[in-house]
Amino acid sequence: MIDIKATSTSPRIAYRTEDRTLEIIGESYPENSFEFFAPLFSWLDARLKDPAPLKVEIDISYMNSSSTKCVLDLLDMLEEAHGGGREVSVSWFYDDGNDRALDLAEEFKEDVKLPFSIIPRTSGTDI
Amino acid sequence: MRDLLALKESFTEQGILISFNGAFTHSIIEEMGNAIKRYLEGENLGRGAIMDVFAVYIEQTQNVRNYLNRLSFDQPQRNTAIVVIGNVDGAYVVSSGNTIARADVQDLTRRLTEINALDKDGLKKLYKETLRKPRESDAKGAGIGLIDIARRARLPLAWSFREIDQDFSFFSLMVTVMGEDK
Repeated sequence: MIDIKATSTSPRIAYRTEDRTLEIIGESYPENSFEFFAPLFSWLDARLKDPAPLKVEIDISYMNSSSTKCVLDLLDMLEEAHGGGREVSVSWFYDDGNDRALDLAEEFKEDVKLPFSIIPRTSGTDI
Repeated sequence: MRDLLALKESFTEQGILISFNGAFTHSIIEEMGNAIKRYLEGENLGRGAIMDVFAVYIEQTQNVRNYLNRLSFDQPQRNTAIVVIGNVDGAYVVSSGNTIARADVQDLTRRLTEINALDKDGLKKLYKETLRKPRESDAKGAGIGLIDIARRARLPLAWSFREIDQDFSFFSLMVTVMGEDK
């Protein structure tokens, strides 16, 4: 199980067993991104040994460059599992009032072959 | 100081909106970032433009903090840093200044010059290549902050070094970000 609560500079990371979905929601510019994301990588490494399908929902309204690196590492792990025949998919939510956020989503999508949906989300008050 | 009028007039003349001079801690970076975000939301800017200014501020201040944290403790200049957000002719300018070991000046100049020589597609390519590189063991960041900053900037990066003593220089980085509604 993984259940990390959001802070103002780091996203919530939680796994819902009922629909086998990992969700990452919030803003991401923690003091040390690599330390912050390390528990996710350990959890995911173990979870990907389980053949059950996995959905990943990413809804990060802002991420700094070191968080971007970590998200890319996450996608690499999922891509490798997908290449090995696992059923994994990504839903990427972006703020539809922000073209830059859509560009970023598309840049991530370019690098993977796994099912990757880009889904607009109506603007909230936070960026 | 008798009063703050001269300082205020100087800030006004240079379009300075917000400035912080001191030790960059994570909480200072966070609190100032929130203030900047709230301020820009009141300025009728597009969300993309707000995010660009905010992101450039975060990358600059986190870069400075990570760099100064790596300088050793017997170097008192390690805490000397300043960040300034200004509005000049409708564009937002995010500037940071910090002490840098003179031994690092050449490498930083090379990286900045390389980044400024690239167009939009070249920056995207370098950004992706750098993201793919294994991270350095002692680095908190992936070395991609400057590229991310350049991708969000409207004008080429502007910088200067001023010699402090035989070991240190002062590095200033000025980044002009899109100001109008997009």
